[in-house]
Amino acid sequence: MTGDVLFSARNLTKEYVTPGNGAFGSRKNRFMAVDGVSFDVTAGTMLAVVGESGSGKSTTARIAAKLLDMTSGSLQFEGEDVTAARGKQLASFRNNVQVVFQDPFSSLNPKHTIERIITAPLDYQGITAPQGNRTLVRELLERVGLNPDHSARYPAQFSGGQAQRIGIARALAVGPKLVVCDEAVSALDVSVQARVINLLRELQRDLGLSYIFIAHDLAVVRQIAESVAVMNQGRIVEQGSREQIFDAPQHEYTRQLLAAVPQINPEWERQRIAAGLAEGHER
Amino acid sequence: MTDTMTPLLEVTDLTITAATSDGPTEIVNNLSFTLDPHSTLGIVGESGSGKSMTSLAIMGLLPDSCTATGSIRLGGTELLGLSDRELRRVRGEKMAMVFQDPLSSLNPYYTVGLQIEEVYRAHRGGSRRAARAVAIEALDRVKIKEPARRVDHYPHQFSGGMRQRIMIAMALCLQPELLIADEPTTALDVTVQAQILELLAELKEQSGSGMVFITHDLAVVSQVAENVLVLKDGCQVESGTAQQIFSAPRAAYTRALLDAVPRIDDPFDDLKGASR
Repeated sequence: MTGDVLFSARNLTKEYVTPGNGAFGSRKNRFMAVDGVSFDVTAGTMLAVVGESGSGKSTTARIAAKLLDMTSGSLQFEGEDVTAARGKQLASFRNNVQVVFQDPFSSLNPKHTIERIITAPLDYQGITAPQGNRTLVRELLERVGLNPDHSARYPAQFSGGQAQRIGIARALAVGPKLVVCDEAVSALDVSVQARVINLLRELQRDLGLSYIFIAHDLAVVRQIAESVAVMNQGRIVEQGSREQIFDAPQHEYTRQLLAAVPQINPEWERQRIAAGLAEGHER
Repeated sequence: MTDTMTPLLEVTDLTITAATSDGPTEIVNNLSFTLDPHSTLGIVGESGSGKSMTSLAIMGLLPDSCTATGSIRLGGTELLGLSDRELRRVRGEKMAMVFQDPLSSLNPYYTVGLQIEEVYRAHRGGSRRAARAVAIEALDRVKIKEPARRVDHYPHQFSGGMRQRIMIAMALCLQPELLIADEPTTALDVTVQAQILELLAELKEQSGSGMVFITHDLAVVSQVAENVLVLKDGCQVESGTAQQIFSAPRAAYTRALLDAVPRIDDPFDDLKGASR
């Protein structure tokens, strides 16, 4: 199944019209948040869409997940046109494509228990898990590295990293093939972030998941994405494999972006790793 | 100005206790560090490490549910135990803080100029006209173009990076000796972050004030701080010069933290700091 195109977007545009200054005859302002964006996601791989705020990456993600209507363009999932999906087709699309958001707390209802949160997608779809919802929740919690006994707790009782795992568990509840991660690790501490990244990778390996990974952190993208699209001002300025983008960036904007990433003094890094190896710490 | 021999900031045995439903809990434990004038101390730690609580304690802004014991001396003056009134005088005048989220720190209903003027006049008094001149100059210092026009704009008319510049302008308008920057670039784009870090370094150079830079981002701290303090669960893990911490960390936790930093120049199969 790896190698086939799972999801493709063609010429996506999203136009916002803002009222002019109100004077008679004043022009309305048109703003293209997303302007002619096309990409493919290969099954079992991760496409990272990177860019700065205002680049249109999140809008693109929302259009791809059908959380937002596009102005023009088309979407295909497994070869089927889902651009105008509604009713049953939309429900099945939602079964296949799930979203993990940036802020785990604002995307989890604080008044619902973890079990209710994780099974919410099943409720919306009118599905009951064959093994029973409670068992499913336990399995999912274990899958994302949380204590399965905590299913009756509330979001506030978890840390940010744990809450994001809950968000991931919820996305996995309906057994999707594609998960759209909108800045899913951006709000997390570095060691927690590393664990969530490893979890995403593990899920990719074990379940054959594909991802559209929206991120602004290029170092994170370097760690996990197979292919990368760089967005600026609503357009994809450069798209290619991870190696192409990081090792041989063609576009000026990509180069600027890469140059701005803060790095630990490489000499210090080298000394630390060398000392670590000498002392037998695994690197 | 303080004598170079005495530290600008001296924190000794700082313990912060929070009243929780499970009784009092120590969220910062016996923390001691010093900051020399003109230098930058980076405090790094993950969420819950107590780094933000430490900065709030220095500013005297701890929530009512928390109490701080120990000693915090700024330029030789003990800050713990000062009355609200006395603290208000020290804040802004002698020390100022820049927070992570510039949008929620600015009042959307007032122009940015008015908000800077307000800070200035609360401490120095004087006419609105004089304060306005200070505000324009402050905006100019943080490199906001056309400051005389932008001073009358509202926060929503600025980008995130610009808003953070405004916060920095506000913090520095009284020329404090100590600037506490709590995750000042965390909410910003990388290219904007690079600009803000550059601006902070430049302003520090110009003003000679000391800076406590609080962040979770080790790469950022390695670029801004001469000295680094690593915190975990409210306890000091280790401290030293940036070079020591990054090239020869002594504590296993620091090593794990550094191993977890995703590196742009070198992809790994698995991030090592991430053992579950």
